[in-house]
Amino acid sequence: MLVFLVRRLVFGLVAMFLVLSGSFFFWTLHYWPRTPAFPAYLAWLKGFVNGHSLSTGLLPPPDAVAPGPAHLWQYVCEPFGRTLLLLLVTFVLVVLIAVPLGTLAAARRDSTFDTVLRVTSYAAWTIPAFLVALILQDGLAALSGGWGTDLFPRAGWAGECPGGIGLVFDSHRMPHCPSAGTGLTHIGLVLYHLTLPALSLALGFIGLHARYLRSALLDTLSEPYIAVARSKGLSERAVLFRHALRNALVTFVPVLVSDFGLLLGGSLVVDIIFRLGGLGEMFIDALKLTVEAFVPVDTNALQLALLLGAGLMFVMSVLGEVALWFVDPRTRPE
Amino acid sequence: MASHAGDLPLAAPSDRRRRGLARFGRAFVRQPVALGAGVVLVTLFLIGLIVPTLVPAGRAIHLTPDLFNRPPTLAGWHWFGTNSLGQDVLQQSIHGLHATELIAMLGTLLATLAGVAIGGLAAYRGGWVDAALMRTTDALGILPAIFIVLIFNFYATPVTTITQTMILALCLWIPVARVVRAEVVGLRGREFAQAAVALGASDTRVFFRHLLPNASSTIIIAGTSLFGQLLLLEATVEFLGLGESQLLTNPTLGSLIGYGKVQGLGMGWGWWTWSGPAFLLVLVLVCANLFGDGVAQALRPTARR
Repeated sequence: MLVFLVRRLVFGLVAMFLVLSGSFFFWTLHYWPRTPAFPAYLAWLKGFVNGHSLSTGLLPPPDAVAPGPAHLWQYVCEPFGRTLLLLLVTFVLVVLIAVPLGTLAAARRDSTFDTVLRVTSYAAWTIPAFLVALILQDGLAALSGGWGTDLFPRAGWAGECPGGIGLVFDSHRMPHCPSAGTGLTHIGLVLYHLTLPALSLALGFIGLHARYLRSALLDTLSEPYIAVARSKGLSERAVLFRHALRNALVTFVPVLVSDFGLLLGGSLVVDIIFRLGGLGEMFIDALKLTVEAFVPVDTNALQLALLLGAGLMFVMSVLGEVALWFVDPRTRPE
Repeated sequence: MASHAGDLPLAAPSDRRRRGLARFGRAFVRQPVALGAGVVLVTLFLIGLIVPTLVPAGRAIHLTPDLFNRPPTLAGWHWFGTNSLGQDVLQQSIHGLHATELIAMLGTLLATLAGVAIGGLAAYRGGWVDAALMRTTDALGILPAIFIVLIFNFYATPVTTITQTMILALCLWIPVARVVRAEVVGLRGREFAQAAVALGASDTRVFFRHLLPNASSTIIIAGTSLFGQLLLLEATVEFLGLGESQLLTNPTLGSLIGYGKVQGLGMGWGWWTWSGPAFLLVLVLVCANLFGDGVAQALRPTARR
């Protein structure tokens, strides 16, 4: 296991290094086509040691002492943390809803519930996440009766009321923005602001994974050892949960983790629509401000965002394999 | 009794292929949902092909002033309503549908070809070629495709149908290459492939006449499922406004949704400016997925959905 993990780790680091280097050459060739690329590359590599490659090209905030590496980390890490939290909430939602739905559908195969679930999950998976987000934003958030004037906040993180919604960039802010709160109130407010984004992101994946789990469970339920368990006189519930579900999870867990890339991609768009200030908004704003306001592209910040995205994907794939290691002893390499 | 061997029906390759097609057709027709989805897809594609040539984008833009910003109505074919510039949303959507479908189809074709070439080469050559190609694939696959598409789209301005197709294909050949590699590696060790090699067939002949036709069902399944993914990715990128965004001359469904949403907030357009194109997009996506599942079911009757 240790050897395997170390090999994966080395490969992941090399892959991330290659992706970063590729993006460096892409940008260098685009912006400075006459500069000798290789010396510039060496200087850029050295910049990771002394911090120049990690400093931002954007204007520092007024309270920053000096633009430097710390500033860039703050500039990228806060969005990254927000995206991470959105993904975490979505993941929890998907697992909490998809596993019971899939189990129930497999247990009552070809019942009305099964059919309804199959059709709705198909529809949910097919509708793009950004459309679900738009519909929820215009629908649920517009209902009155919540803590503010609406049932759910239409956009923004806790304590932030960004001007405009979705792609509309607007410097105009709401006059009375509710405060972010402290302690438990803050956590509650953050989750409250994350409800609609996480729901719109999770909906498709709930359908998809409920279907996966259902088919995995059906495969398991036709195995001989299930017949043995039944003939031993075990209750149907014990057969389902203790024997079938645990074995079906073996095929389910890798699929769940391998779809993480799609989830990350979807979170960018949801993040932009709900103006959460995550990685997606940072990414798009860096590119769109250049188009609209002729601000030079902050390639260092984009590179750091790419690195964080790639690192997240890599960590998730390794976690998936470790999870599989624990769930299914047969997959362990000798 | 000695002539029994001659009685065996030794079918010519073309004949065998035709029989395979007929079997596929019979299996496919048995699935009414997938068949219906295919009919809807073809109809939509034909509408997208024919209507823009009959009604060019510039011609029907400016309507009479009393038709500005109208909700959907059956009168005068304004089924999706009109926006506050007097543009008919249905007509815009059909133009967008055509562009979207064209990009998705060409992109799928290109990505599948690239995936088959790279995956097939890696599997057939084996050794260090395999290792190098597959490690590159893994390294590229570590980033979500949307990151790469966004950056390339940003630098490839103005994005045309061709560049958009190429960028999307560049990002989505990876799953096809993986699937094809796995399939060809499995086929290469089978007796018929070894027999062909032993008979002295050249590499190209073994690959194109023996391995590729046997991997065709896998390739077709990967391609049809890729179509839906490409459609989704394209719509998302266009929605974000970093794609092919010549809205007046060459809109796509995604850019119409994004534009309708943005302008709807700023200029007081109604919900219909984005829900019309959104409806068409969902229709195409549902049909593409149903069709793809039907094809997979017909080619692989044993696999359970």
